[in-house]
Amino acid sequence: VTEPEPETDRFSDDGVDRTQIREMLRLSPAERLQRLQDLVESILRVREANGFSSIP
Amino acid sequence: MASVRFRDSLVVLAAHDVEFILVGVLSAVMQGAPVTTFDVDVVHRRTPENVDRLLVALNELEAIYRGDERRIKPGSSHLIGPGHQLLQTKFGDLDCLGTIDGERTYEDLLPDSVELSLGDGHSIRALKVAALIQIKQRAGRPKDLAALPALRATLEELERSGRG
Repeated sequence: VTEPEPETDRFSDDGVDRTQIREMLRLSPAERLQRLQDLVESILRVREANGFSSIP
Repeated sequence: MASVRFRDSLVVLAAHDVEFILVGVLSAVMQGAPVTTFDVDVVHRRTPENVDRLLVALNELEAIYRGDERRIKPGSSHLIGPGHQLLQTKFGDLDCLGTIDGERTYEDLLPDSVELSLGDGHSIRALKVAALIQIKQRAGRPKDLAALPALRATLEELERSGRG
């Protein structure tokens, strides 16, 4: 059984979740770009569904 | 739906052999930062030859000045200068910056950049996270300062993994 990362290591001094960064670092630069692309398209779809057609 | 296609914007620039450095949040994302943006910021080399290549790429991208109903296309006289050309394209917003961080040019930033693959044989240069942190610290605007915690944590992880 793999143990979860200890809480003390999970967050930076500023409170940033390091696990998200480690997950990103496992991807290639092109895959990171695609991940942002997918996220932005999701945001834009939600905005459009709520009557906002422009990019924030 | 409004169009934002980061990779397609960068591929068009790369395919036309435009010399540029990706700066801003998107450069940090490509290096692993868990942050979000909606635009592409580049510092281009301001030689006449490179500006000509950039103009061809911008024409393919159907670039016009953002927020101007006259739909003005950027010209070489704009791009050869140190100013910021804030454009919209068929693939989303694209800012072509002659200089950043005071008067730092493409050549000044080149030692602080890293080559990143876009896949399919295309690659670009991006400003390293450490340099981006310094620039955002000096800029000092709320939007720049807000990005710093995620960028600092990313740099720590890069250094921890020997990639800083």
